[in-house]
Amino acid sequence: MTPEPAVVTSGLSKSYRIGFLARRRRVALEPLDLTVGRGEIFGYLGPNGSGKTTTLKILMGLMSADSGTASILGTPLADRSWTRRVGFLPEHPYLYDYLTAEEYLEYSGRLFGMPRFLRKERIRELLERVGLLRSAGLSLRRFSKGMVQRAGLAQALINDPELVLLDEPMSGLDPLGRRLVRNIILELKEQGKTVFFSTHILSDAETLCDRVALLRSGRLVAVGGLQEILKVDVAHLEVLVTGVDEHTVSQFPTQVRFKPVGERLCLEVPEAALGVIITAVEGAGGRILAVQPVRQSLEEYFVREMGLGQEEPWTLQD
Amino acid sequence: MDVAGLGRIRVVAANTFRETIRERVLYNLVFFAILMTVCGLVLRQISIRQDEKIIKDIGLASMDLFGTLIAVFMGVGLVSKEIERRSLYPLLAKPLSRDELLLGKFFGLGLTLLVNVSAMTMGLFLTLRATRASLSPLLLQAVYPIYLGLLLTLAIALFFSTVTSSVLASVGTVCLVLAGRFADVIHNMREVAPGAPSWLTQFLYFALPNFRNFDFKNQVVHGEAVAAGQLLGVTAYAAVYVTMVLMLAVSSFRGKDF
Repeated sequence: MTPEPAVVTSGLSKSYRIGFLARRRRVALEPLDLTVGRGEIFGYLGPNGSGKTTTLKILMGLMSADSGTASILGTPLADRSWTRRVGFLPEHPYLYDYLTAEEYLEYSGRLFGMPRFLRKERIRELLERVGLLRSAGLSLRRFSKGMVQRAGLAQALINDPELVLLDEPMSGLDPLGRRLVRNIILELKEQGKTVFFSTHILSDAETLCDRVALLRSGRLVAVGGLQEILKVDVAHLEVLVTGVDEHTVSQFPTQVRFKPVGERLCLEVPEAALGVIITAVEGAGGRILAVQPVRQSLEEYFVREMGLGQEEPWTLQD
Repeated sequence: MDVAGLGRIRVVAANTFRETIRERVLYNLVFFAILMTVCGLVLRQISIRQDEKIIKDIGLASMDLFGTLIAVFMGVGLVSKEIERRSLYPLLAKPLSRDELLLGKFFGLGLTLLVNVSAMTMGLFLTLRATRASLSPLLLQAVYPIYLGLLLTLAIALFFSTVTSSVLASVGTVCLVLAGRFADVIHNMREVAPGAPSWLTQFLYFALPNFRNFDFKNQVVHGEAVAAGQLLGVTAYAAVYVTMVLMLAVSSFRGKDF
């Protein structure tokens, strides 16, 4: 039997009252239909204020939805029994600074009713995993932002959850910290867990995610596998050439767009004109270094879908 | 609420107790004890035969005042600080209901107040001993109602902190506690303001928490015992009022968006 999806939302929406006497409302989340399958790493992307945190807060019961329904691990949101099987790391977590990391994890473990021996073992294992074992006895007020983030991640995993929801887990981390979190996310996937994380660091999403959802102004713009969303543009090819300059390229019989890459040029060539361009490059004394289909990066897709102005790197010869 | 729920309330209460104890409450106690001792020793020098009564008066009044300040400001801070700093986000995503969190906070700070009141009582007894005054357990008959009043103050502070910001919650709690301490004035308001509608004064008198009910200081200081029935009555009053205020707080906290 196929297990229930990890997260299902149907028509989930939220708006906030704003203004004097709260007469006006601002839509934070338009009706959201989303399904996150078991065992996948799901990236929830969008710029600030797009509704990512609102969604996570509704799912975690920190906020009520105006309309719609949701279920977590096959259990309706209102039935809080799913909390035993879920871990959550909020954005910019504030953990009790009067406690040590070990005490905080102990507190978290006790809320799950974990037996003492299991708590001790799990706490040690997690502190080691997030690289805080040596700081276990240190008060959290002495922790750096990155250390707090890692302690926050440890508390989200204390109950060995089936589903982990992480709100901007890379926030405040240095490159080593980011790598550590990336590795933990990949390990969770290997263990069959589901990871649902929001981020605006697109390279992380591109590296980690099986599927992503893109949110803009509270509206779901796209959802699907990276391969589906970032379609390979087979109609164009990127041709990396050397030994020809921009002036020479501008004299080619077929117009192509190009951008300098160091001392080389990267040409965007229509597939049908590839033969002509190769002949022209070789005829001008240049060399072809690489030919590959154009693949849109997540960042390019994101910028385009968000309708943001992008600095045009290409020069079109006409 | 099931057994597991009670266990989680205990876990939150224990952590709240640890939080409050690590937050300089002990310094208040030490300061209070030193102040009381010094007052006692000084007053012994300048009063004639009234030194014991003055020490008891000051000791019980200080206990009431310091306890109220701790209940108001720490009570308000316990929840509003959690909301403002968002430290309750990871907690509420665990198998911990909002009701359990709030009740755990109440019992945790209630325990801290008990430790405070006990330490202050100890300080009062030590001061009395230092001045060679008689040590009568009768004093405890005034201390116990003071503690009940502090629990009611704490419940009110928690309620306000679930509905508004920490500053407004502090102001609201202080106003309500002050009004409750002058309940008799409200009751007799028509004597000073004949135009005030009687239904209003009656309503206010019965709706506001009457903190005068917890005040047995004068009686005890003059060596009069408090009847068991009176203590039972004030205990029931506190229990009913605290339960009502906590129910309001829980109800408000349940519907709150973070």
